Order: sequence, then C-alpha cells, then structure tokens
Amino acid sequence: MKNKALRRFRLELPLHLLLIPGVLVTLVYAYGPMFGIVMAFQKFSPALGFLHSKWVGLKNFKYVFNLPDFSQVLWNTFYISLLKVALGIVVPLVLALLLNEAAKNWFKRLVQTSIFLPFFLSWTVLGGVIFELFSLKGPINSLISGLGAQPIMFLGSNTWFPAIIVGSDVWKGMGYNMIIFLAAIVGINMNLYEAAEVDGAGKWKQLIHVTLPGIAPIVILLSTLSIGGILNAGFDQILILYNPTVYESADVIDTFVYRLGIFDQQYAPAAAIGLFKSAVSLGLVSLSYYLAYKFSNYRIF
Amino acid sequence: MVYKQSIGRKLFVVVNGFVLTAVMLLGVLPFVHLLAISLSSNSAAMAAEVKLWPVGFTLEAYNYLAQKSEFLRSLGISAERVALGTAVNMLLVVITAYPLSKSNAQFKYRTAYVWFFAVTMFFGGGLIPTYIVVKETGLLNTIWALILPGALSVWNMVMLLNFFRNVPKDMEEAAVIDGASHWALLWKVYLPVSLPAIATIVLFTVVGHWNSWFDGILYMNSPEKYPLQSYLSTLVTSINKQAISVEDLKRLENVSEKTLRTAQIFLGALPIMLVYPFLQRYFIKGITVGSVKE
Amino acid sequence: MKIKLYGGLTTAMILMSSVLVTACSDNSGKQAAAPAASQQQPAAAKTPEKADPFGKFAQPVTVTQVLGFRPPEDPKTPKGITPEQNGYLKQLKDMLNIDVKYMWTVPTEQYEQKFSLAVASGDLPDLMVVDQKMFEKLYEQGMLADITDAYKTYASPTLKKYVEGDGGFALGMFTRDGKIYGLPSYEDPYMSTQIMWIRTDWLKNLGLEPPKTIDELEKVAEAFVKNDPDKNGKADTYGLALQKKLIFWGFDARGLFNSMGAYPTAWLKGSDGKLMAGEIQPETKNVLAKLQSWYQKGILDKEWALKDDQKAVEDIVAGKVGISFGEWWYPNWPLNLNKDKDPNAEWKPFPLPSFDGKPGKSLVNKIRLNKVVVVNKKAKHPEAVIKMASFYNEMERSKYKDINKAENGWVYNWYEPRIYNPNNFENLFQAVNEAVANKKDKVESEKDETVIQGADEVFKAAKDYLAGDKKAWGLYFSRAADDGGWGLTRKIRDQKLVTFNEYYGPATPTQVEKGASLDKLMDETFTKIIMGSAPIDEFDKYVSSWKKLGGDDITKEINDWYAKNAK
Repeated sequence: MKNKALRRFRLELPLHLLLIPGVLVTLVYAYGPMFGIVMAFQKFSPALGFLHSKWVGLKNFKYVFNLPDFSQVLWNTFYISLLKVALGIVVPLVLALLLNEAAKNWFKRLVQTSIFLPFFLSWTVLGGVIFELFSLKGPINSLISGLGAQPIMFLGSNTWFPAIIVGSDVWKGMGYNMIIFLAAIVGINMNLYEAAEVDGAGKWKQLIHVTLPGIAPIVILLSTLSIGGILNAGFDQILILYNPTVYESADVIDTFVYRLGIFDQQYAPAAAIGLFKSAVSLGLVSLSYYLAYKFSNYRIF
Repeated sequence: MVYKQSIGRKLFVVVNGFVLTAVMLLGVLPFVHLLAISLSSNSAAMAAEVKLWPVGFTLEAYNYLAQKSEFLRSLGISAERVALGTAVNMLLVVITAYPLSKSNAQFKYRTAYVWFFAVTMFFGGGLIPTYIVVKETGLLNTIWALILPGALSVWNMVMLLNFFRNVPKDMEEAAVIDGASHWALLWKVYLPVSLPAIATIVLFTVVGHWNSWFDGILYMNSPEKYPLQSYLSTLVTSINKQAISVEDLKRLENVSEKTLRTAQIFLGALPIMLVYPFLQRYFIKGITVGSVKE
Repeated sequence: MKIKLYGGLTTAMILMSSVLVTACSDNSGKQAAAPAASQQQPAAAKTPEKADPFGKFAQPVTVTQVLGFRPPEDPKTPKGITPEQNGYLKQLKDMLNIDVKYMWTVPTEQYEQKFSLAVASGDLPDLMVVDQKMFEKLYEQGMLADITDAYKTYASPTLKKYVEGDGGFALGMFTRDGKIYGLPSYEDPYMSTQIMWIRTDWLKNLGLEPPKTIDELEKVAEAFVKNDPDKNGKADTYGLALQKKLIFWGFDARGLFNSMGAYPTAWLKGSDGKLMAGEIQPETKNVLAKLQSWYQKGILDKEWALKDDQKAVEDIVAGKVGISFGEWWYPNWPLNLNKDKDPNAEWKPFPLPSFDGKPGKSLVNKIRLNKVVVVNKKAKHPEAVIKMASFYNEMERSKYKDINKAENGWVYNWYEPRIYNPNNFENLFQAVNEAVANKKDKVESEKDETVIQGADEVFKAAKDYLAGDKKAWGLYFSRAADDGGWGLTRKIRDQKLVTFNEYYGPATPTQVEKGASLDKLMDETFTKIIMGSAPIDEFDKYVSSWKKLGGDDITKEINDWYAKNAK
C-alpha cells in the first residue's frame, strides 16, 4: 500500500516539478499582495500603512451598501455586463463559424485581421469615434432621417445608451474571442468531418454534429470565465461615454467608486467594493464549475 | 475536397461574403479615420472636420515624430519587453498547463493546484500592496517589474489546459510506450498538436505586453525607461479640476496638437498589426493535425 | 487535496507576514527618525555659517525629490536631455553645493497617483510639491517638517515677497499654531474671473451690439442661431458653448450662473452672516429655468449634455458657436485655432451681463493655489530646500540671462521648487504696455530684483501683432491687449465686481463621505431640467433631498470652520 503511494508519487514527481515556477510566481506576485485585503476592514491611511491603520470592521461595506442609488448602480452593472458576457460569446462564435466557411484564404486573413483592429485602440480614442457615429448629425441619424423617421439622441437616451455600451464593447472585443474559437475549430480532428461526410452529412449537419461539440468545452470555459467578470461592466468605456442624463441606466459600480474618490482618495471603500466583487465572482465561477462537473462530468479547468 | 454546391450553399457563400465584408469595414474604418486625422492640418483636426480623408493634407506630424528621440527609444523598450515577456510568459503557461491538463487519475493533486491558480483570477491585493511587493522584491525600475508580476497568465493557462486535453489519447499512449518522458511528451506531442492554440496565446501575450501602459508608469522611476504605450499615455492630457493655472494652460496649448497625438497612436498600433498576419498561418485549417500524424 | 491547498496558503501567509514585518520596521524607523530630524533643524540654524540665502554649504548636501514633469517647452532645448542633466542642477551644485537626487520622475498626469503610492509605501523624498488635499493628509499624519526657522533665516527677500505677496493670507493657510509647514505658490485670485467671449465679426454681420443684459444676450444668441451669422447660407450655428460638466474649468455654465447671481458649488455669506451652499439657492433655479428655455430655442446645442470639454472646444474651433463664458486665457487656446481656420473670426471679451438691473458678478475664490512646497520631517537640511526656492528666483534675474538658456540645457519646468510672484501677471501687463506705448525695443523685465516672467515673450508677441502678424494674436490678446482677456479682467478687479467664495478649507468629513452622491444628484437634476426631461419644479425636490442626504451636515461643518477661520 505504502509502496504504491510512493510509486505514484515518483510517477507524478515530474508534474510537480513543472509547476514550481508557476507556483512561485503566483505566490509572490498574486498571493503576496493579498495582505492588502485588510484595507477593506480599516480606515486606511497611507501614512499609517496596513499595520497601524484603524480597524473599523464592516463599516466600509455598510457605507458603500448604504449609499443612495447603490442598488440601482448594482443592477446597472449586472445587466450591462450580463449582456456583454452573452453577446461577447455569441457574436464571436457566429463570426468564427462564418469565417471558417469563407472560401478564400486571403479573404479569411483580411477579415480576421480587420476584426481584431479595434482591440488595439483605447476607449479614449474610440469614444470620439462612437460619439461622431451616433451624434444627431452623424451617419446613423442621417440614415434614420433618410428613412423619414425622427433622429434619435442615442447617447442621451436611457433606452439606447446601454445598448451602445454593450454593442461597442462587443465590437471592440470580438476579434479576441473569435480567434480562440477559430483555434478551437481548427483543432478539431479532420477525420471526424471525413467520417461525417461518408455518412452523408451536409455542411449543416457537420456543423451541428462535429464542429459545435468539438468547441463546446472552450465555449463553456470562456463563458464561465467571463461570468467571473460580471461586476466589471467596463470602467474606461462608460466613464468616457456617459453623461448625467443616462446616470440612471449606465452608472456602474466602477464609475460610482471613481466619483467617490474625487473628494478624497478613499482607498478603503474601494477596497471593500473590490472584495465584494471578488467574492461574487468566485462564487459564480465556482457554481458554474460545479454545475458543469455535476451534469456533464467535465472539469472546466 | 470538392463539394457539390447546392443553390443554398451558393447563396450562403455570397451572403457570408457580404456579412464578413461589413464586419471587416467596421474594424478598418476607425483606423482610416485616425490615419486621415494624422495627415490633416491641426485646425481641421481640432474642428473635427476630418472624416475618412485628410483635410489640408500635411506630413508635418510624421516629420516631427521622425526626429523625436523619445518615440524611438520607447519603441525599443517595448520591443525588448515584448520579446522577453512573451518568452517568459509562454514558457510558464506551457509548463504549468501541461501537468494540469492531466486527469485526476494521472495527477492526483491537479484540482488543488488549479484552484490555487484560479483564485488569483478573482482576488487581488490592489494597487498599493502590489506595488509594495514589487518594490520589496527589488524589481522597481527594471524591466522585470513589467514581466514577473504577470509572468503567469492564469487565464491563458486555463485556456491552454483545455486545448491540451484535446490531444488525441492514442498519440500520447504511443509516445509513452516508446518511453517518452513528460518533458518529451510535452514538446514532441502536445505542443505540435496544439499549435493553433499556442499561436493564439502568443498573440494575446504579445498584444498584452504591447498595450499595457500603466505598469510602466507605476514601476519605472524615469520616463527614459517607459515602453511605448506608457510614453503615449503621457501625451493625452486631461484637466480634472476647476481652477486652471498658467502652467496647466501651457500644457493645454502644447498637447493640443491633435494630429501629432493621432499619428503616434496610429504608429503605436502599427507594429502589432504587422506581427498578426505572421501568426495567422497557424490558423489555416489542415496544417497542424495533418502534419503531425506521420 | 484540501491539505495541499492549505499548504499553499500557509506559505502565502508566511510570505505576507514577512512583507508586513518590513513595512512595520519601516514604520518604526520613521518614528525613530522624527526626533532626530527635529534636533537637526535648530542645529542647522545655529551653525556659524552666515544666514545667506545663497551661501554655499561647506559639505555637499543631498536633497531627494520627486518630479512630475512635462517635456521641455522650448524647442531649442538640446534633444534627449534628462531631468538629471538640467542646467539648473549644475548651477545649484556650483553655487550652493546642493546635489539633487530624483527618486523618480513621472509625467504630470500620473504624479498624484505615483505620489500616493510613495506615501503608502513610506518612500517620501526630502522635498515635496503637493496640493492642498495632500498637504492636509501629510500634516495630519505628522510627516511634515516645521520650516519656520529655515524660512525666516534663509529665504531670500524676493522669495519672502512672493510667498507673502497677498499679505500672508496664503501662507497662513499652511501655518499651524504659528509654525510654518508649507510654502504656497499661488496666482492672483482674480485670474479666475469669468468673462464673456463673443464672436464680434458675427455681431457685425448681423448689425448687433454687444449684449449688456441677459435679455440682450438672449436676443444675440437667438440671432446667432437663426440669422446665419457666418453668412454661409446654412443653419449650422448655435448660440452658447456648453459641455456636460456645468461647473468645470472652461466652456461651462459658471459665467451664466454668476451673471444671474447664482453660485452653485460655492459657499456664500447669507444675510444672517452664515455660509450657505450656492447650488440650493433660488437664483440657481432661475438660471436653470433660463437655460431650459434656451435649450428649447436652440441657443444651446441639442447635444450639449453629451459633449465633453474636448467636443465643446471642437465646436468653437469649427466656427459653430459664437458665445462662450470663461477666463482671460481663451485667445491663446482655443480661440487662436478658430482664427487659424477662419481668418475673419474676431473674438472679444465682455463683462458678465447684468440681470434684473444688477451687474453680473463673477465668483472668485479667495486663493488661486498652484501648489505647496513642503519638507519631509526626516529631511536633514530643511534650509537647503528654502535655499533651492530662493535660488530659482535668483536665476531668473537678468544677470544670469546669458547662462540660463534653453540651448544650454536649462529646463525651467523641470526644476522644483518654483515659487512665483503672485503679481507677475499684472506686472507683465504693465511693463509690456509701457514698452509698447513708449515704442521701446526692449521691455523692462526686472525691477528691484523682481523678475517679470514671460515679459520678453509677450512683448515680442505684442510687437509682432501690432506689426500685422496674426499668429501672435493669442498671446498678445490674452495677456497684454487693453481690451483683451487680462485687460478686461483687471478692470473688473479694480471695480471689485466679483463675489467671493468664502470657503477655502479642505473637504469636510461629510463632504468626503457624501459629496459624490450629492454631486451626482446635482448633475442629474440640473441636466434633466435644462434638457426639458424634468420640470423646473424638480429643483425644489432636489433642494430637500440635498439637505436630507448630507447637505445640512455639510453646511454645519462649513460654518463651524468659518467661525474659526473667518477674518
């Protein structure tokens, strides 16, 4: 019995060894700074540091949760990022599948590169472009008035603003996930397609029975990881595009915390919010992990 | 492979072509817009008159940049960072993902390890503690401060782990029977089979290193050590207070060169766009799996 | 599996605690060093060395500092030069035997953040340049040196004249219990006076007079919307420039609010002698009602609430708008860009219009503070910092003109501490105008050891502009022209047509806690009222929520402060 365990350990030893560098780096640079979490429970003052700042228990959490509008802000954060997560998976997936069917290689490359381009631009730069696009005199409204309808003030409308936030975010990031999906599609064993063809499956059937099951693990993985970011609705983007008329539909946790810091660098409430977000993310991801394991016996990671 | 093309299929190909072209334009047009601004006169740019074609064409911004030493110097630092950073990141991602891609039967503690890493995706210490750790480990003001703290991207690692699981089991078993060690298995079987995934992660890593600017400003003690994006971020000025001093004004007057700023943003994105097509050949169907199977 | 995870965590804990230990020992070091430093300082004052502001230290003295910097402004500056190679520092070493060591340098935009990190990680330099907020923090934590003796003994007469140029009001803000903890650098508070910039070529095109009252302003603005003031045959202009932040640094609504006697975000003295918040007064409601009607008439851009400062500036440059409230400096940016685009464009400033028979009075803060120079309690030679400040002003004098040049690698905006003459602006105006009026070739840029900064530059612009060079308009018209930006502002100053913001203390505890929520409430309510998506009576609801959500507490805190500090 003991012998068996020893043998098993010797067999697995190389695997442990391979993990050493990663574990070290993570310990030092990811776990190391976590002592900062105590800040969430302190009246933190930089001059006193983490050891000498006053302990205040849950006061920072109470302060943040009791701020007027906090529930509104939480809800905005939640629904904006939920839409971002969902569309951020579906749109790139569809594009990857379409692109995979494109006939010419040069065309494939060209499209792939172009789709990735917006990813390189910061929201500061894109903010200007989006404003022009959706302004009353912009191309989209010209089209609308050309069709005989009333122009719409997109960025000042509580109905449209969240849609623009979600849409532009999906647009900016779609190249990223699309490439992952493409890599997954390319990785599917060609034999499976050949077998399917022999069985008389058309393109559509091949898609349903070979391609989609082949990339399902990656799709599930990306969805799970994105759900972890559910309380990050996109700080830079919203800060640059929003305005007081759409606060009620677009003020999210991060912009809210940012404004809190304007009067005074309030490290502690920000840390409390951060901890709250982390806990929610970890909870959601653990839940998805557990569900995936329970129902399909698949470990996401 | 020749398919019998039905009418539906033909129609699909045409529609698909249109959709993809539209998506492509959506990606390209902002860049055309930026390029046009950078080639326009400053007053036209400031008046937001430039759309997709330069107004008052001039190469002034580029001429000015060509003689600016900061731009070239920070470009060099970025190149160094990308080369070094990508090498370190990829090595760590690969050697970490490999053991964790094993099943629990093959590697007893994998799940514990995975969670050890995964937790760091959600919990962090925040800016100040991270800075203190970087400082205490003596990395401040060295290029390692930009590389080591993020040396293992857990996100990428988890992704690669999933790709590694797709390595056909028969290939692995064949290699093991031939007496291959884990090390050999990783390099001779896993990596070649996972080339598309590796290429994807290389791309993300390169882009990540290229685009990040905040750590440069945080950890470097003087601007001579800034990578390109950190340097570029110093050109964007914003005044966030009510009282504006005579010195703030000088700043406004100087940085208001919108064309110059745009030219730099454009040039800043250019090298990475050139890397991209190079990596793309790994995404073309058929190369990988076919070439590994002997 | 559980055990393994636990093991990992324990290691992490050990690692954390080791970091905490270092942080701790760092801190105890601070406590230990503090008394040493305070002993050091009187000792330094007592040294036999004469109290000469420009006396050379016998032994080299090192002063550490940090720098928020921008690229050198002068194109003649040698390429590739670094802050360490600054000509000022070489001269400082030669003249005073002081070595400056930069712990870090960072672009101005990121200075505040990097400085906070330095505070948090306990790495503070000897010499620091901070804002009022940071001053309060450092003072509270006992991290600042008392520089009273060093200042009294070693500050040059010129430096003293600058620091106390307003009769000691500014210095008093940074003096606690009779001890000086910081030297302020500030500008003439009247430089924040709001004036009204108008496209006079548009007025001429339409045969209109410059408006003197709000009603006339409304008529002019309406004409700018409807009567095609730029004569291009298109209805593509609007009246008043505005951006989404109503109270900001430019192209905002402060000027209009002030014209109608409303002062949102300021604290004014009420009839009962107590301070009251401007944003909840009935005058503010009047302005909002006015703006609401202007929005309906198209005087404001339909999309003003979506536009940031950049976008508002774009409209000015593009010639889409003809009126903007703001400060004296507009001609040098961005009005000059508008003139570049359209050579016919003419902008002139006018006093705030009157309302209800009362002249418009701009809000002026009691102080226009740029920065505070402070010394670390641990610094060994606080007097070196005072000497460095005196040194800067000395180097500006004409006798150093031959060496103090950009081409020799002297970069003034990299040198700290720079404490400027608060009256520089007025001196400059007078000197340049005197030189122009008497047709001199040179402006007198130094009088009684007081240097007028920028005099040569502005004089050259004045000469060039008067000789027909339109490019020089911005500098000339903002700073030197009698009917220009500062020319008008100083007339308003002399007539005292301003209202003072009575509060100049730090943010109160309730402001820190509730200020962001109250600001949001204000922005949201005001914007909605102006856009017409909320009725004007929404304002009354706003006032009562404001009071309930912390406004009353803030008012009390502000008045407590006022009772203590009012003079």
